[in-house]
Amino acid sequence: MANHLFAAIDVGSFELEMGIYEMSPKNGMRQIDHLRHVIALGRETYHTGKISYRLVDEMCRVLADFSRIMKGYQVEAYRAYATSAMREAINNKIILDQIQVRTGIQVRIINNSEQRFLSYKAIAIKATEFEKIIQKGTAIADVGFGSTQLSLFDKESLVTTQNIVPGVLKIRDILSQIQVSGNMEQSIVEEIMDHELIKFRKLYLKDRDIKNLIGIGDSIMVLMRYAGAPTNCITCEQFNQVYEQLMAMSPSRIQEEFGVNESYVGILAASAIIYMRILQMTGAEMVWTPGTRLCDGIAAEYAQENRCIKFTHNFDEDILAAARNIAKRYRCGAHHIQNVESLAAQMFDAMKKHHGLAARDQLLLCIAAVLYGCGKYISMRNFGYCSYEIIMATEIIGLSHAEREVVAKVVRYYAEPFDYNKAAIHSAKLTAMLRLAVALDASYKQKLTGCRMMVRGDELVISTSYEGDLSLEHMMVQTCAPFFEEIFGITPVLKQKRRV
Amino acid sequence: MAEIDARFVKPENFVNRELSWLEFDYRILEEARDKTLPLFERLKFLSITASNLDEFFMVRVASLKDMVHAGYTKPDMAGLNPEEQLVKIGGKTHELVALQYSTYNRSLLPALKQNGLRIVSRHEDLNEAEAAWVDEYFRANVYPVLTPMAVDSSRPFPLIYNKSLNIAALIHKRDGEEEGAVDFAMVRVPAVIPRIVEIPVNEERVVILLEEIIERNLSALFSGCDIIAAHPFRIMRNADLSVDEEGAEDLLVEIEKLLKRRQWGEAIRLEIEDNADKRILKRLRKELKIQPADIYEVNGPLDLTFLMKMYGLDGFDHLKAEPHKPQPNPAFLNDDDIFTNIRKGDILLHHPYESFEPVVNFIQTAARDPEVLAIKQTLYRVSGNSPIVAALAEAADNGKQVSVLVELKARFDEENNINWARMLEKAGCHVIYGLVGLKTHSKITLVVRREEDGIRRYVHLGTGNYNDSTAKLYTDCGLLTCHPQIGEDATAVFNMLSGYSEPQQWNQLVVAPIWLRKRFVRLIQRETANAKLGRPARIIAKINSLCDRDIIATLYEASCAGVKIDLIVRGICGLKAGVPGLSENISVRSIVGNFLEHCRIFYFENNGTPEYYMASADWMPRNLDRRVEIMFPILSLELQEKAMHILEVQLEDNLKAHVLKPDGSYEKIDRRGKAPVGAQDTFCGEAKAAVKAHQALQDPVNRRVFIPVESHEDL
Repeated sequence: MANHLFAAIDVGSFELEMGIYEMSPKNGMRQIDHLRHVIALGRETYHTGKISYRLVDEMCRVLADFSRIMKGYQVEAYRAYATSAMREAINNKIILDQIQVRTGIQVRIINNSEQRFLSYKAIAIKATEFEKIIQKGTAIADVGFGSTQLSLFDKESLVTTQNIVPGVLKIRDILSQIQVSGNMEQSIVEEIMDHELIKFRKLYLKDRDIKNLIGIGDSIMVLMRYAGAPTNCITCEQFNQVYEQLMAMSPSRIQEEFGVNESYVGILAASAIIYMRILQMTGAEMVWTPGTRLCDGIAAEYAQENRCIKFTHNFDEDILAAARNIAKRYRCGAHHIQNVESLAAQMFDAMKKHHGLAARDQLLLCIAAVLYGCGKYISMRNFGYCSYEIIMATEIIGLSHAEREVVAKVVRYYAEPFDYNKAAIHSAKLTAMLRLAVALDASYKQKLTGCRMMVRGDELVISTSYEGDLSLEHMMVQTCAPFFEEIFGITPVLKQKRRV
Repeated sequence: MAEIDARFVKPENFVNRELSWLEFDYRILEEARDKTLPLFERLKFLSITASNLDEFFMVRVASLKDMVHAGYTKPDMAGLNPEEQLVKIGGKTHELVALQYSTYNRSLLPALKQNGLRIVSRHEDLNEAEAAWVDEYFRANVYPVLTPMAVDSSRPFPLIYNKSLNIAALIHKRDGEEEGAVDFAMVRVPAVIPRIVEIPVNEERVVILLEEIIERNLSALFSGCDIIAAHPFRIMRNADLSVDEEGAEDLLVEIEKLLKRRQWGEAIRLEIEDNADKRILKRLRKELKIQPADIYEVNGPLDLTFLMKMYGLDGFDHLKAEPHKPQPNPAFLNDDDIFTNIRKGDILLHHPYESFEPVVNFIQTAARDPEVLAIKQTLYRVSGNSPIVAALAEAADNGKQVSVLVELKARFDEENNINWARMLEKAGCHVIYGLVGLKTHSKITLVVRREEDGIRRYVHLGTGNYNDSTAKLYTDCGLLTCHPQIGEDATAVFNMLSGYSEPQQWNQLVVAPIWLRKRFVRLIQRETANAKLGRPARIIAKINSLCDRDIIATLYEASCAGVKIDLIVRGICGLKAGVPGLSENISVRSIVGNFLEHCRIFYFENNGTPEYYMASADWMPRNLDRRVEIMFPILSLELQEKAMHILEVQLEDNLKAHVLKPDGSYEKIDRRGKAPVGAQDTFCGEAKAAVKAHQALQDPVNRRVFIPVESHEDL
């Protein structure tokens, strides 16, 4: 049978969730079971920094049940990811160990950018409209319990994605500590949010024309259900109405009308305010909720790896776009880095048989190529170290922490001498290629556009039909050749083909 | 939910549920009095009125008594407080009992005698030969198991068990010094010996009741004493320690405390032979602390449920209705397995006209099918040696994931349920013993199967329990489907039952206690809105009970807007039908037949796009608010027709249907000039005809085409 059965587990801040998926190249991906258990891990983490034993116990019990259900479906594989609450709990390593011992489930903590990338993959797989929607300016607001992620799309590609704290749980907790009347609460939350959003607007939104808002997360779905929209799309006015109605209701009325329980009322109100502020800031006309969840993203990732689904949307391009936007913010020369990036990619392909790296490394190399000079914004002299710090401090959607660290190191060793003790051979290979790629555009004049690269014997021959002077490039290639040789056993040679 | 107009919720618009229930028992009694029915069927109906009344006392009257004791005075929807209700119930019940016994004595006894079965009502009527046989029977079989108890200053009044039949006697010691000193004595009529004893001495068939045999031989138990008087009696106690939740939820805690204080439930009814010795009656009254209104002096044998046993006497088949043999549903008359048959299209089973066997087969096949991954089921009142329970255990044994929700709170069945639930757990099933604060009343089975093109879910949804023996007596509907949306919802139902959060959305199923009430109100109000716009609007509902205030008020509102509403309500109906200005567009009929009407079917016109639903729930507060219930739609057009046909035939019934009059009484339909239609008989005939028609279709001679068998596996 060509059908794969896969389980995706999300250890979230407010819920434990498991989705069982069936996937095949023929039929794509389909969810066949979905379980949720409410457990407020986030509340403890954000208050005490730790998750108590009582909750760990409950978590293990539910996860053990998940494990039983997975066996029932005879799933072939599972992935269990934990997000913000676990990530921020200082005792998370102990808890992960407990879970593994008691339930056999291996939970991996993913960072925010990985998490957001997954939920964004989930949207792309679930919705055919996605491509159409992002043609126009689109904002994606993922209002989570721990934090809110705001991403901007324009002309099909990702412009930026930023993580904005506080999330819903934090806002609700802040509110519960302030004794105020109902209306005051609303304005306080609005103020807190605006404070964060203004920065976002100044830095990224500027005067972009945003037409659509894609909302993901639990509470927007409750709001949409109340709006009673037949499709998952409502206009800004409709959303406004729902918002006004919600704000005018007493908590008990909210429970009844929206069909939520008591503890959810505060969450619903807090997230409605967040959505409303985002909607007002972006000026979007339509709100669209694909109704996807993190589990869908986890499954989509697995399905993609197993060639059960193909995305029409190019996600690597989004990651690169995000990197380019970072580069732009730090004023890296756009033409230069574009050239370096494509030279690096070309080199990676030419060296395929010799470097033994995975396809994913090509993406990392390109990102490194895009970002190698960003530190110069801070210090021209010490830019290797500055670039490293910038990259380590900036979220790049879709990259895990480990991957980001690789990029940061490669960029650092581009500028500084390679540290044989600290860096792995993996980074060394990427560093060698990055150095060579930058050397090929040492003049910042994109002279080698359209060059050809090929390994012949123990030489990497870079041939170009450029007719002008290449002595700077020659010199730079020679400078970085020894390191390249050392790593790959191959010498880079620049050859200028002249027309006769 | 939109607010309901206050004029619809006035107390005078409603009928008290207990009084309405008694009306229902009257309707059954009317069947026992119907001379056109086979004699033994009439015995059965009389027996049912008696057992119904017992349950009514143990649950409903007991609850009301508890409310009175706890000082609870909140009136019901008809404006009666518990005390007033008890008074009215008392009056009506006495009348009912009088009618029961006059039916027994004046109508049934003579008729039985005419048909060759003599019942010896009083042992004094035995002839010599019979008396001799009876005395010998007593010595050999009865005497060894009797425990006579005398009450005097050294022996306290004995404990009398709930619902047990006893004989009370006054005895006088022969050698006593005091003249005229009498003692109270009693003996329990043993339940281990059949109550009906046939005396095989004549040509004619003669039976006598066990208590008469004991009464005749009482002196053997109290040797050395004279028996001054002896009378059988029976008490009913408020011993059901679970209080029926309805109406008094806010008082449950209070009542529970009350119950704990009382070791033995108070006596709430005493039945005794009429013209009993005053001294015996006085003594019993004193010892049992029973009110005069709760004493029922009856002219005939106590506890008429023995008539059900009488029905089982062999040799009177010509006096019984010909039993209906459940017919197979034509969809299964082929060699394909059940999953293939379900894949061909949804299947609606109408029990007991159609056999329950496919449901059992569904679970048995799933248990053995190597492709089945999981079976999930809710069980409520299952027969003890149920093939379904066995199949579930087998499935677990075969390594399938089996989850079963066993409802332990099913009335009177608790112990039985615990036993086999433990058995299932031992077999490796995941057993959930009910939900806190809710009874799980839904009937749903989910089979998850791995097939060529992926996971497919097969679901059975029913209106009746998974009980293969009651499925022969109760009319119920069941849907077998593999509709993906229903499958998805079924999965969500079981996830909720295992303690997980509600799904983000439901596709087709509607689940109580959270969504069902709102949905019903919405569906009714949609008809109201359509009627106001001059569009066609109609509701047909077939249910067992209707006593939810809000639903009734919403129906009144619909009626006033011009919605035509036909209700087929078997039992309790708190709604007043045909009242001008309130419910002139509502008709209510009740069908009492050989089979217990049990299925719930709902039809909503929906402006020309009718919607059909079936459910495990009635329109009662306890179904809508305190139970897990499922309502499912009938989606296939063919099955919608079948559902409509069921409703139509029931609305045409003029043999067994009683129509509710505006004054609250029920009347049989005037049949003059109309062809008689009996819904249950019609369905029996149709089920048989469907099988015949199918067989005729399959007959090669009719088809004129021969079908070669290609694979010899089938040979």
